[in-house]
Amino acid sequence: MDASSSAVSYSPQEKAIASGSYIGNSEESACHARFQNMFRRCFKNMVPYVDVKRAKYFTESMKETEGQPLVLRYALAMKHLAEKLPVYIEEGQLLVGRVGTDKGRYGLLYPEIIGDIMGEGLDAAKNNLSAPLHIDDDDLRFVKENIVPYWQDKAFHKKLIQSVPVEMRKFTYATADGSVPRPYVGEQASMNGCLQWVPDYEKIIRKGAAAIRAEAEVRIAALDRNNARDMWEKQFFLKAMMTICDAIILWARRHAEQARRLAAVEKDPVRRAELETIAENCSRVPELPAGTFHQAMQSMWFVQSFVRLERCVGFMLGNGRLDQYLYPYYKADREAGRLTDDQVMELLDCLWLQEAQFVNLPISAQSATQHEGYAHWEAVTVGGQTRDGQDATNELSYLILRSRRECPLQQPDLAARIHARSPEAFLWAVAETVKVGQGFPKIYNDEEIIPLHLAKGAPLLDIMDYCASGCTEIRMPNVDSYTSPCTQTNCTAAVETTLFNGRLKSFGEELFSVETGDPCSFRTWEEFWGAFRTQLQFMMRYALFLQYQIQQMRGQTYAAPLEDALHDKAFAACMDLDTPLSIPGTLDLGFVECIGFATAVDSLAAVKQFVFDEKVLIMRELLDALECNFEGKEHIRRMLRSGHCYGNNDPYADSIGRDIEATCQEILSRNFEHTGVHLDLRMVSITANIPFGRVLAASPNGRLAGMPVSDGSSASQGMDVNGPTAVLLSNFHTKNWASTARAARLLNIKFTPGAVEGDEGTRRLVSFFRAFCDLKLWHVQFNVINQKTLLAAQKDPQKYRNLMVRVAGYSAYFVELSTALQNDIISRNAHNEFGAAR
Amino acid sequence: MTDEKTSGLIFNVQKFSVHDGEGIRTLVFFKGCPLRCRWCSNPESQNAVPELSYSVQDCLHCGTCAKVCTRGAIRFTDGTPVVQRQLCRPEPGCLCTRTCPGGALGIYGKTVTAGELLRQLLEDQVFYVRSGGGVTLGGGEPLHQPDFALAVLRLARRARLMTNIETCGQTSVETMLSAAALLDTMFMDIKCMDPDKHRAWTGVSNERILENFVRVREAFPRLPITIRTPVIPGFNDNAGDIEAIARFVRRFSGVRHELLPYHRYGEQKYLRIGRRPGMGEASLPEETFATLREVAEKLHDDQL
Repeated sequence: MDASSSAVSYSPQEKAIASGSYIGNSEESACHARFQNMFRRCFKNMVPYVDVKRAKYFTESMKETEGQPLVLRYALAMKHLAEKLPVYIEEGQLLVGRVGTDKGRYGLLYPEIIGDIMGEGLDAAKNNLSAPLHIDDDDLRFVKENIVPYWQDKAFHKKLIQSVPVEMRKFTYATADGSVPRPYVGEQASMNGCLQWVPDYEKIIRKGAAAIRAEAEVRIAALDRNNARDMWEKQFFLKAMMTICDAIILWARRHAEQARRLAAVEKDPVRRAELETIAENCSRVPELPAGTFHQAMQSMWFVQSFVRLERCVGFMLGNGRLDQYLYPYYKADREAGRLTDDQVMELLDCLWLQEAQFVNLPISAQSATQHEGYAHWEAVTVGGQTRDGQDATNELSYLILRSRRECPLQQPDLAARIHARSPEAFLWAVAETVKVGQGFPKIYNDEEIIPLHLAKGAPLLDIMDYCASGCTEIRMPNVDSYTSPCTQTNCTAAVETTLFNGRLKSFGEELFSVETGDPCSFRTWEEFWGAFRTQLQFMMRYALFLQYQIQQMRGQTYAAPLEDALHDKAFAACMDLDTPLSIPGTLDLGFVECIGFATAVDSLAAVKQFVFDEKVLIMRELLDALECNFEGKEHIRRMLRSGHCYGNNDPYADSIGRDIEATCQEILSRNFEHTGVHLDLRMVSITANIPFGRVLAASPNGRLAGMPVSDGSSASQGMDVNGPTAVLLSNFHTKNWASTARAARLLNIKFTPGAVEGDEGTRRLVSFFRAFCDLKLWHVQFNVINQKTLLAAQKDPQKYRNLMVRVAGYSAYFVELSTALQNDIISRNAHNEFGAAR
Repeated sequence: MTDEKTSGLIFNVQKFSVHDGEGIRTLVFFKGCPLRCRWCSNPESQNAVPELSYSVQDCLHCGTCAKVCTRGAIRFTDGTPVVQRQLCRPEPGCLCTRTCPGGALGIYGKTVTAGELLRQLLEDQVFYVRSGGGVTLGGGEPLHQPDFALAVLRLARRARLMTNIETCGQTSVETMLSAAALLDTMFMDIKCMDPDKHRAWTGVSNERILENFVRVREAFPRLPITIRTPVIPGFNDNAGDIEAIARFVRRFSGVRHELLPYHRYGEQKYLRIGRRPGMGEASLPEETFATLREVAEKLHDDQL
């Protein structure tokens, strides 16, 4: 015990904020000088710019190529963009290839998705106070006059809504034009161009675009001229491959020329040398195989940023296993004495800065509510195992972790793969990074992910080599082929439609889903559960129906030649990844999202406990209380909140959770049998739990009308009162281990810095990771915070019931302390915040 | 009676307890203590019977509790319930706690069998194994319920859980030695070397405690022991008292000695059980504690 810590301790992040400095200490941060200069410049203007040039040139080209095969049209559009877009080389940058303005943070427009509502969307986004965007008036006018009219009837958004049968639109849209979503079953396909993705960067780094182009050329020559189908489908596909390679090579060459021009007039000899290196790198990669670590990073970055021009996936386009595919170059350069670790840190800084400046523009109503705070998910993966099952950690894994500890950017995200034999040193480095308090890295568990995907049919070598993608998903870059953004179901809404016999209060008294009987007539819990099952499965079936439609529509709208060129199976089969057909040798791994899982579990547990088991509440009373949002019925609400809750390792609640998962999986497994697509149950709400809660009436767990439902697979807000071990165990016990129809579960755990303080705290955190690994949970991420949280907790103690604080040589639940002592601790915090004490 | 069926009174089981021994542990709070330390930060642990807790912050002042109590133990006067502690016999079925709309009433103390408790202790096994943690008996004084505590320790041992105890040392030598035989580590308090002062502040002399420590040490020389001394303003917050303890402890090689600073975080709980905090406004300045810790550490270093 550390008896001296009679005050609350701070996470390094909090300390850095308090002192107005960066996280790295002065000794380490010498290598971040370049970063600090660029950071000030790039982030000085916090309002991101809307760059309309991508939309302009893309539209120009698409107008020219109407009627041609889609994949070729996209490749030609990319070539047009490579020719026309301005080339930017930012002051101080070592990696080049940004695809929009160099004024700071920026985003691009994708009229092929939401061209029909883009004008209004931009008007709204300009005035959105929480996430404003900057667009020049001339640009806005240009969009409205020249871009929107062309896409009015062609945009995916419009076409998708039109294709949904009229009587079903109410499940997803609240208005006829689909501009306002109804979060009963949500779709993300009309805001994202693709499900999260990771191209095979290693291929372009090692082979180069010229070799891929040559391969396509040889294959065209070898096509059977007597086979009309090949001559039609394959020839155009392969031509598209050649064109896309030409496009990215041209794009790089233009950067080489620009760098040379700048070098010629550069006065500072150091910068001149850097510009010459940039010129040399860009004239070599991605056309040819990379020769150095710097070139490998440049090649990778050209691809990652160029994909953003191809489609709207740029904000969740993972970096893949950066510590693996860059390692041979790192090792060779280090051995040859060409590279120092400080230079690696600088290059990583340059990459993070490039990525962090790209913003997903929240233009549609869905993305504005579901991806708050300019969210994006470009995960870098470190650690894990090699293709042949050895531990994969290397020097780069540790350098990347260190870089994320010292860099105050919110992007990109970092994922650490851990497994049963992960070295203790690696887990310590991960724990130290978690303790910084920025929420990095999130942890992925090989011991769940690998066997599960083997059971789903993944090839052994590819699944050993998986990388993080999106917020919690994974990708096998040459095996995964499912690109359709997936649907989200509102699990808590199924509770509401059960309670009100198929009605959704916000929809009115008209039947919304399906009648399952007046719950006041139910005599047993089994009857109630049966009605809920029907409601839930009704919702699942519609979600699958909608998803199928999305998949068909996408094949008619999109193509992704660059991603095809970097995907072994798509390239071999001459099939674009957006095809609704199955590409030989690939796996279609998607999901159906389950939002508000814990809220639903707790609500059902409350109905079971208070209405059927203990009989202290009659159904009518419960319904009345819900309908009036507990007004004047606070005592009922209090009682409901005292019941069994998910997140406490309580079998009463957890068994209901497991049954919900199994109920969904029955439907999902049958869909797989019919369609061959794994649409498995996922629990990753992101911020969608907020809009999904907004449309719901009060729920039987005591949640008030309109309040958020629970997030991911986390417990309902503040209801996990038995500590973090119980949270993991509840997660374990609610998983239906008898089915493989499960996808990711996102789990948030919150610690205060004091709870993980010192080496003792790090060791404890490492043990916690190990136990998480043993329990075969998929994902976990940590918040290590106090400060504002404590103030907020004081104002709303119910909500923060589970917030643990270290007070004086022991840990306690903050809200259980007296107000005076809470104030005491808060005042010490504030004292520190202004840099005075200790 | 079998160990599984032996029952006892506890008032909390805290998972992920991290300051009560190695690794991630589950801490069981036993109810009942032979000492009455004035500074006690867990006043609800002292009496060996269940106690009603009343939180005025949560009270809606509706008077329901007074109406439903079958013993007439709650009097509702001037809009506030007053608990008649001599009449109150809290038990799980009590209507006052079950019907309180504000959730202001609760019960400290629950009777469980050692078998039931073991099942709860086993829940976090995966965390113990990975962290070198286990089970810690604390309270209250676990050995104040010797049959129950020993039953729990035997069951935990049989289940191969690592065991630890936080004891004040005030128990029979036989109980102390039986417990020590079932422990992997032991935390014991030595609060003051002066028997009279000890009696004045805790209600009992320190003779039995010191003897128990010596006997355990002789019988189990390899059992890792940590001696803890709470530094209490007005009681032992001076170099003389702390030095005396440190000198005593350092006679036993390998025994660790830790000082814990006085804190006031138990105040709220006194009020909940209708008592007044015993220490008033007293507080321990950080500097005083730091100085005393140096005193203790210096003596410890001399030993090495």
